[in-house]
Amino acid sequence: MKKTVLGGLCAILLSAVSTLAQAETIRIANHGQAGIDAMKSTVERIEKKYGVTVEVIEYPAPDKDYLTKLLTELGAGNAPDLFSIPTTAAVADMVEAGYLTPITKEFKAWEGYANLYNVAKELAVSPDGETYVMPFMLGIQEIYYRKDVLEKGGISTEQPKTWQELLDRAAEIKQKTGAYGLLFPAGVSWGSGAFDEGFQHLLVGSKTPQLVDADGKLDLNGEGIKDVFNVYKELIDKDLMPTQPLLGPEPWVVPKYQMFPEGKLAATSCGSWCYIFDWGRESKNPIPEVTKVVGTWTVPGQSTGQYVLANLAAPWAVNSKSPNTELAIKALMEIGSIETQVSYAARIGNIPASKDAADNADFQKLTEPVPIHAAAGNGVFLKQASGFGTVSEGVARATEALLRKETDAAGAQKILVDYVKETLGDDMVK
Amino acid sequence: MARNSHEKRAERQWLLILLPSLVLLLAFVIYPAIYSIYLSFTNEALTGAAALRPRFVGFRNYARLFNDAKFWNSLFVTFVFVIGSAVIGQFVLGLISAIALRRPIRFRRVFSSIILLPNAAPEVVAGFMWISMLAGGDNATLSRIVSFFGVTPADWLQVFALSMIIIVNTWRGIATAMILLTAGLSTIPAEIYEAARMDGATPSQMFRRITLPLMMPTILLYMLISAVSTIAVFGLVYALTRGGPGGATEVVSIYIYNQSFTAFQLGYGAAVAVVALVISLILGIGYVRAMKVEV
Repeated sequence: MKKTVLGGLCAILLSAVSTLAQAETIRIANHGQAGIDAMKSTVERIEKKYGVTVEVIEYPAPDKDYLTKLLTELGAGNAPDLFSIPTTAAVADMVEAGYLTPITKEFKAWEGYANLYNVAKELAVSPDGETYVMPFMLGIQEIYYRKDVLEKGGISTEQPKTWQELLDRAAEIKQKTGAYGLLFPAGVSWGSGAFDEGFQHLLVGSKTPQLVDADGKLDLNGEGIKDVFNVYKELIDKDLMPTQPLLGPEPWVVPKYQMFPEGKLAATSCGSWCYIFDWGRESKNPIPEVTKVVGTWTVPGQSTGQYVLANLAAPWAVNSKSPNTELAIKALMEIGSIETQVSYAARIGNIPASKDAADNADFQKLTEPVPIHAAAGNGVFLKQASGFGTVSEGVARATEALLRKETDAAGAQKILVDYVKETLGDDMVK
Repeated sequence: MARNSHEKRAERQWLLILLPSLVLLLAFVIYPAIYSIYLSFTNEALTGAAALRPRFVGFRNYARLFNDAKFWNSLFVTFVFVIGSAVIGQFVLGLISAIALRRPIRFRRVFSSIILLPNAAPEVVAGFMWISMLAGGDNATLSRIVSFFGVTPADWLQVFALSMIIIVNTWRGIATAMILLTAGLSTIPAEIYEAARMDGATPSQMFRRITLPLMMPTILLYMLISAVSTIAVFGLVYALTRGGPGGATEVVSIYIYNQSFTAFQLGYGAAVAVVALVISLILGIGYVRAMKVEV
């Protein structure tokens, strides 16, 4: 009997010791080698400042696979304490699933809060009014074009003012240079990029520029959606956009890393990261003097307006089932530091969400993103809602049908609506 | 009485020996299967409100399946994949190899080793290996080879996606077919062939009248194993095409993955998995009946 009691006490003691030991460790997940490298100095800082051990769980996988793994672990209850979320479209759904810890109070009290761009603060607020993510980096997206290719072909490099002008310019590029005129990421293999880097660029300048009504309900029957799909259809039907590479398993490789640097693709939607990560000094296939050779256009509206799309670039959040939420939130605020923002900007090319990054000497050396940082305040964005992850997948399926010339714009919209209704239920969609 | 107690003790010992296997079977096969069936009657999801509060939805997922064109497409693709790869490709080539390698030909061991090699590569590894052969348009290894012979290269994984995964899976599975069919061939007594030869039977007649009928139990067993394993192929297709383009290679296993881990609809994905399991069971029962085996 004595032995049993003693054994039980030992087990309790061991369990308590192991719990305490666990409390001293924060597990953080990051994906993509550049992101993992960018976090190294921040990890050291967190360890030093709070006397904890930070275990970095690395997922050097594409966004889509990383999100799947993360959601699987969150669902199973064994996800890391802190993690980056690869697409803004997933945040509202993750909040609704109860995976994320609200950080509104700590975020507003954080010393860096006042200096964040308003667009970052607004993007961080979820449909329920609470904040769950640290919006420390922004993806500022525009259309990137090859100045040299256009000038050599005698084609204007002036900002196109409407969708039609953009399409006409693409047709002129094809006719005069033989290069593809414009690319918007599309298709299922591109994952959330088909929505984040393609579809939403045009939607914000359409007749129905939002996907969520005043009640927060998804509205996918807007005329603007069909009009956006019509732009894709014209690009595809007139062979102005490369379609075959987009249907492969890694659709970005050929157009972004081969065709654009070779001048076989003259314009593509992209984010600030393209100047550094895709074609700049961090690229495997860099374009010499990239900022001189590659120019940017804002995305024109359907008939008026100019749009620069702002996204949260892989925002960070705290696992609601973290055994040490308080410590994880403190670490999260460290991730929002200027040093981390600059480290990410240098390796990936995303834009610091803090205005005062402009005063940072290391950031000033990054000549490519500095002008984009100054313009970040003008970014527009889509209002988020639960179900956005499904909408994003539906857009990928609809654009894939267009790539395969299986449907027209109205058919693509039907594919989107049917997919979202099938997945989420009829009552979720207006 | 003493004998009875001895028998009981022996029975207990055997049960004890079986216990670890039973526990593993319960934990990793029976329980997940029952849980999948339960999931298929819920709207369980990996994200969104259904992740927090899953509901019992009765037969809704199964009703949805019947109207889901993508599901029917995946069944059709799987059917073509199984017929093309397991039945035509692996079986025919495996049988030819088995018959050829029974004969005393030179370099027999070398040929056997070459045929066995693809089976050593795990599915995903084989998939990635073939990507360098097939992907990249004009730069693909296969494109360069056919260009040498004056044939126009193609985007193999786009234009001939399903044919390509059939070929790759056939390449990988020939060894298993060959081993099983060689075993079947070795059970046919040489005297029967000798007698037939003395009666003036041609090789073709001997194959049709002796080899095939006597090999039928082995062929049926092979077909069952091959069909079920081909239905379950995932890594190879995922690595090569991820089910694309446009669902052209979306076999049932990929469709289950896409529903569960791309659309994050675990309940619906489980319903598809249950239907796939039922199809495999029907194949198994068909085999048992064909073999007139009493269960």
